[in-house]
Amino acid sequence: MNRIFEKLLLCFAWASGIVLVGSIAYIVGYLIFRGFETLNLTLIFGDTKPVDALLLKRQVFEGLFPAIIGTFLLILLSVGWSVPVGLGSGIYLAEYAGKKVKRTLNLFFDILSGIPSIVVGLFGFSVALFLHKHYSENIYPCLLISSLSLAVLVLPYIVRTTQVSLENLSPEMRLTAPALGATKLQNIFYVLIPKSLSGIVSGVILAIGRCAEDTAVIMLTGVVATAGVPRSIFSNYEALPFYIYYISAQYSDPQELLRGYGAAIILLTLCVILLFCAFVIKKQLAYHVLYRI
Amino acid sequence: MSDAVKINVYHLDFSYQGHRILKNVTTQFEENTLTAIVGPSGVGKSTFLTTINRLWETVPLADMKGNVEIKFNGCFHDVYDQSFSLPRLRRSVGMVFQTPNPLPMSIYKNVAFPLKLTGEKDKKLVARNVEKALKRAYLWQEVKDRLTDDANLLSGGQQQRLCIARALVLEPEILLLDEPTSSLDSRAAMVIEELLLTLRPNCTLIVVSHYLDQVSRIADRVIELSDGRFLERPLGNPSQLRVSGLHRT
Repeated sequence: MNRIFEKLLLCFAWASGIVLVGSIAYIVGYLIFRGFETLNLTLIFGDTKPVDALLLKRQVFEGLFPAIIGTFLLILLSVGWSVPVGLGSGIYLAEYAGKKVKRTLNLFFDILSGIPSIVVGLFGFSVALFLHKHYSENIYPCLLISSLSLAVLVLPYIVRTTQVSLENLSPEMRLTAPALGATKLQNIFYVLIPKSLSGIVSGVILAIGRCAEDTAVIMLTGVVATAGVPRSIFSNYEALPFYIYYISAQYSDPQELLRGYGAAIILLTLCVILLFCAFVIKKQLAYHVLYRI
Repeated sequence: MSDAVKINVYHLDFSYQGHRILKNVTTQFEENTLTAIVGPSGVGKSTFLTTINRLWETVPLADMKGNVEIKFNGCFHDVYDQSFSLPRLRRSVGMVFQTPNPLPMSIYKNVAFPLKLTGEKDKKLVARNVEKALKRAYLWQEVKDRLTDDANLLSGGQQQRLCIARALVLEPEILLLDEPTSSLDSRAAMVIEELLLTLRPNCTLIVVSHYLDQVSRIADRVIELSDGRFLERPLGNPSQLRVSGLHRT
């Protein structure tokens, strides 16, 4: 009976793996099949010369260049806000928090991770309105508000992955550096964090993916259909996920829809590049901190 | 009090989660000797070691009463005195654990790590001390061409010698070893035993061991820990040691 159950479990595990890999291959293959033809410089730069667009000499109106830059800045800013706060909170929860505080904050971050993104978007919009009314009339929904709202959305991922990675280290590993005369802070920064780096980077990668794909938050907090390359963090901006949503909901001819598939391929490529960068940074960091003489 | 005494332990009581493990332990350890602490598993041998370098303080729900004095520069210091620096204590009292625990870094950085903690910036001095420690731990010849390799790629015996080298790099006056050969094969264990004997003239060694043969080969003094109390055992061959619950090899 046990052997049959084991074999059934093995079959189920294999089938799940095949379905997962197959789904990813199907989605990517379908996107490439539908959108590959539209992938050219005109899709990105429109009628503008690429050099002029890249040097910000001329605005691009017909192409995806402003949306690519907008998405890139959005991800960078959101991850930039959330990583330090998330790392700090994760370290606090794993290494310093007492039982009661830990239980309360864990519950808080669990609830935060379950909040629908549209609610976080609404919160960001309310913050923008509040600041507009009480602080400065120049503050509107903008890149800054969007990135802060997205940072709130992805914060629980970074906090929990950091916390769990640190808590899973063996007691022997925790005692090694103190036995050599390390203070608690030295132990955390020289041993515990480097040892948990893989888990922590997984959280950052999850955050990058979530920031790149989320449309509900940015729809309410500053993204628009046409804005050009954002001049500052207080400007409106364009973003690829919103462009894909907008095109798929409002396209007037099939050719326009194909541009949406092209945009999806570009968004996917942007994510892959950022994930690759995260891996390279992790590897370089680990090499310089832990291995180079 | 004898001039040769290095460590004084007075009326040491230790409890964990309300359970009393060490009961009114009073003893002395002489300078540059190797003392073996024996006894069955779970009686508090490892715990006793952590009371000397105060490592037990990192364990929640543990409590200790009593005093530990160590002689540094000819004067005894109460290591539990508020004014006594904890990093200084742990740099003078090295510890090697039962399971080899290389840090997640290269072989070189593992051994250089304690020097980094002291704030040592002189790279040449660090390199010299790393080489010296690796030589003292009989590991230099095996790793000198791959110092930037991950320390976790070494064999179990090499990892344990690396941990000893890491403890030796600060030239501690006392070295605590918690069953340092228990996870090693007999050949690797013999190398560690030889190493301990070469360290003895310049270092006070306290070794927790389960192996009576090993104890009879290397120890200057044997203490049995039984029911939370220390009992002196006469030196001799393994059959004369007669400690219950221990291995003969």
